[in-house]
Amino acid sequence: MTGGKDAPENTPSLEERLKRLEEIVRSLEASDLDMDVALGLFEEGVDHVRGAEATLRVAELKVEELLGPEDDPLVRPLEEDPE
Amino acid sequence: MTEPRVWSVSQVNRAVRVLLEDTIESLWISGEVANWTRARSGHCYFSLKDEQAQLRCVMFKTEAASLPAHLEEGTTVRALGGLTLYEARGEYQLVVRSLEAEGAEGLWRQAFERLRSKLEAEGFLAPERKRALPRFPEAVGVVTSLAGAALADILTVIRRRAPWTRVIVRGARVQGDGSGEEVAEAIRALGGSGLVDVLIVGRGGGLLEDLWAFNEEVVARAIVACPVPVISAVGHERDVTISDLVADVRAPTPSAGAEAVVKDGDGLSDALGISRTRMSGALRAIASRRREGLGLRLSQLRHSGLRLVRPRREAVGRAGDRMESAIRGLATLKRARLSEVAGKMDVLSPLATLHRGYALPQDAHGRILRTVEAFTDGDRFALRVLDGSVPCEVQGESR
Repeated sequence: MTGGKDAPENTPSLEERLKRLEEIVRSLEASDLDMDVALGLFEEGVDHVRGAEATLRVAELKVEELLGPEDDPLVRPLEEDPE
Repeated sequence: MTEPRVWSVSQVNRAVRVLLEDTIESLWISGEVANWTRARSGHCYFSLKDEQAQLRCVMFKTEAASLPAHLEEGTTVRALGGLTLYEARGEYQLVVRSLEAEGAEGLWRQAFERLRSKLEAEGFLAPERKRALPRFPEAVGVVTSLAGAALADILTVIRRRAPWTRVIVRGARVQGDGSGEEVAEAIRALGGSGLVDVLIVGRGGGLLEDLWAFNEEVVARAIVACPVPVISAVGHERDVTISDLVADVRAPTPSAGAEAVVKDGDGLSDALGISRTRMSGALRAIASRRREGLGLRLSQLRHSGLRLVRPRREAVGRAGDRMESAIRGLATLKRARLSEVAGKMDVLSPLATLHRGYALPQDAHGRILRTVEAFTDGDRFALRVLDGSVPCEVQGESR
């Protein structure tokens, strides 16, 4: 395993966004934060909501096929049978 | 005196073979299995024996394909076949057409139970081994036949529920000789590729024999060793497969396997909306606590100032006014930033709700009072409206 996805990406994954969102909501609700800190968290949270919503808008499923032996993998789009 | 007739070895063996085949009809023979081997050709060779005797047996590839990969020594079976002679060696043997243990599917059942006990002894069936599935996988791996309905079913579900997901398929034959090894290899390749967060392994329904790849030890061990969680999705009505037992999650069909992996997009949108609402609610509560604290300090200041320095009341009053407006200005600045940020949210946010004329009751700590129980006769509370808060008092019993 090389670790990590094939395309290095800077944008957080859906899973990471939702996890961070949960943390943000929890600290906003639980602690008596300084207004500036609270605003910063809120802005970050809104970014995650929007990022996640953008992900959810992707409408085309990407289907690929893994070829090649275990130590020399190759990924290419899978041609699905027309139904 | 005539010369005795001399036979060649081949002639004798041929004659005995014909004798055997012609005079003894097909028969059932019961005994214990010994020296079981499955040749590369797919033919199986073994002996049937009892306490005193043994009989060589062969089961050709076509018939042997419907048997588990390996038969345990000593398994009691009954074999249906015809006696013949293997001329090249002069050995007589039984050509087995059907092999059964007690009861239908008995041999399969035995092979299954044996492997199950073995894996159980190694701890692979323990519930605490089960890994949780990622909640929102970016990439889902699928190991199944590229030609099967299972793949189409899985893709249909993911396309409908979570089309943003990346699906990577590794094709493998899921039925027939060598399919277990192919499935195992595919699990190792895809699971170890680092490309997927979770793996669905399965096929559509079929007879117990058709599903046998998923009862093989190589497949079980590949699942156990897989670095990402595995869902076993073998379509079958009642039987559990070994794959089901060692996988992190068992699904009754390939479609159900896909449903277990990807959450519904609608539910996610709802969850995001709720996060949004909770964040803005919490932010407003913080803002209003700050503002109330500010107001309280201001009035204390004015009060003490007026009382202590009565003669210079006017000057103090002016200073107080200036101080008040300075603080008000600060608060306005903060409020402006708050509404700028809040403006990023859509019309469903609570601030927009206030804009539409709704008000929000809060106690002294800024907590929102939602139910009748939160109000007691004589309680003081604040009513948050769009541009500030109104002090209120409960009069009479709430209903």
